[in-house]
Amino acid sequence: MHTTFYLRRLHSLCGLLVLGFFIIEHMITNSVAMAGPEIFNQVMGMVEEIPKPVFYAIEIGMYAIPILFHGIYGIYIALQAKNNPERFGYIRNWNFTLQRWTAWYLVVFLIWHVGYLRIYIKGITGTPMSFELLQNMFQNPIVTILYVLGMWAAIFHFCNGITTFCMTWGITKGPRSQNVISAISMMMCAGLCVLTVAFMASYFVY
Amino acid sequence: MPDKVRFIIERQDGPNEKPYTQEFDVDYRPGLNVVAALMEIQKNPVTVDGKKVAPVTWECNCLEKVCGACMMVINGKARQACCALVDEIKQPIHLAPARTFPVIRDLLIDRSVMFESLKKIQGWVELDGSWDVKDAPIQNPYTAQTAYEISHCMTCGCCLEACPNVGPQSDFIGPAPTVQAYLFNLHPLGKFDAPKRLNALMEKGGITSCGNSQNCVEVCPKSIKLTTYLAQLNRDVNKQALRNMFNF
Ligand code: HEM
Ligand code: SF4
Ligand code: SF4
Ligand code: FES
Repeated sequence: MHTTFYLRRLHSLCGLLVLGFFIIEHMITNSVAMAGPEIFNQVMGMVEEIPKPVFYAIEIGMYAIPILFHGIYGIYIALQAKNNPERFGYIRNWNFTLQRWTAWYLVVFLIWHVGYLRIYIKGITGTPMSFELLQNMFQNPIVTILYVLGMWAAIFHFCNGITTFCMTWGITKGPRSQNVISAISMMMCAGLCVLTVAFMASYFVY
Repeated sequence: MPDKVRFIIERQDGPNEKPYTQEFDVDYRPGLNVVAALMEIQKNPVTVDGKKVAPVTWECNCLEKVCGACMMVINGKARQACCALVDEIKQPIHLAPARTFPVIRDLLIDRSVMFESLKKIQGWVELDGSWDVKDAPIQNPYTAQTAYEISHCMTCGCCLEACPNVGPQSDFIGPAPTVQAYLFNLHPLGKFDAPKRLNALMEKGGITSCGNSQNCVEVCPKSIKLTTYLAQLNRDVNKQALRNMFNF
């Protein structure tokens, strides 16, 4: 049957392709904040234009189900590791540990983030997303810090995930090709982390 | 040069007893290694406080890094005690059993789980007879070097002790037995059973339990390129999965 094999491969594919697409899409939409409140709100309005059945289908099929599967099975995977970077402090082992620490932070962060903004504010109170709403939320410095950390955690988890994905699928075999992919994905990680700070700063300059 | 070397040893009187530590001083001599120091302690098992205690138990055999028996945790790292030179490691020297495996007593551990894992992946070649030398199927000269490298594995267990995914919390068979499957898949007769081994690696606790922390390749005393062969096996099991699905 090899259920574990297929679940692990699906977890890996789901993380890289589906959630990877999702985080890139999220970075692009959020970057619009840098263009100012009017344009950001215009884009948010465009999102509202998408016919509801299509929108829900995308939200559930592309976001909710993959993230629940990857997240829940990911917790199960993370519980099988006894992180040991204090004994074996090699860089790859630190990345392995950080992959799991960021996963734990993401579990908490995503429940809060999706639960509050999508389910409570947008879903239950029916308030549409807007620049002002987010600006208001980020008045609290603790919220801002936790959000930046949430983005950084997701970015690191995704970028390091590219490196491990290539190993998991046998795409990069030897240490040289693995190091090249690792360097590229870590540069991407740094770039996306800076971009996050840039678009988060928009809420304080406008 | 200090004339004494201090050893801080994590001991345990039996499989289910509580661990405790004791300190011993051993006379320094050039070229002293951890096994030789343990032999000194065995001769004169007196702690630094002058208490006579039961001698420390450990396992060793070849004394030249080929049998694998003397693996223990030395200053936090899994390695072979027989080639751990006192001159090259930080003092005081901390010794502990490799707790990824069941501890029998003191530094002596039970590594038989690796043997069980080798049985799972069919770590042998099926024979139905024998040949005269001239008639025997030959090793592929292009992969012989790789096979030679992997065949150096002495089931010491360093890689399992270092692997974060091996331990009581997980059913991962670990890097060494996994990579042995690749060795036997390279063999001119062993390759006939390759689908069997790859299917075994797709079971729970098989290759998918590896999380790419790459500690194994860092600690292997025989410098086996474990992660490279794990990646190769990842390719091979994917192909095997396609073969299983589409029956070709
Ligand atoms: C909800 C919380 C999450 C948890 C608990 C979680 C857990 C994990 C764990 C434990 C791994 C390591 C798997 C392994 O070693 O085989 C992993 C890998 C990965 N995750 Fe996540 N994750 C979460 C969210 C995300 C998100 C939001 C993304 C996308 C941005 C993502 C993308 C990836 C990728 C690309 C991999 C690498 C897959 C591979 O190595 O084959 N994960 N995740
Ligand atoms: S690369 Fe895989 S097998 Fe090797 S130490 Fe890491 S998790 Fe274990
Ligand atoms: S692969 Fe290396 S570290 Fe692992 S058991 Fe074999 S010789 Fe020891
Ligand atoms: S005694 Fe054989 S490897 Fe150390």
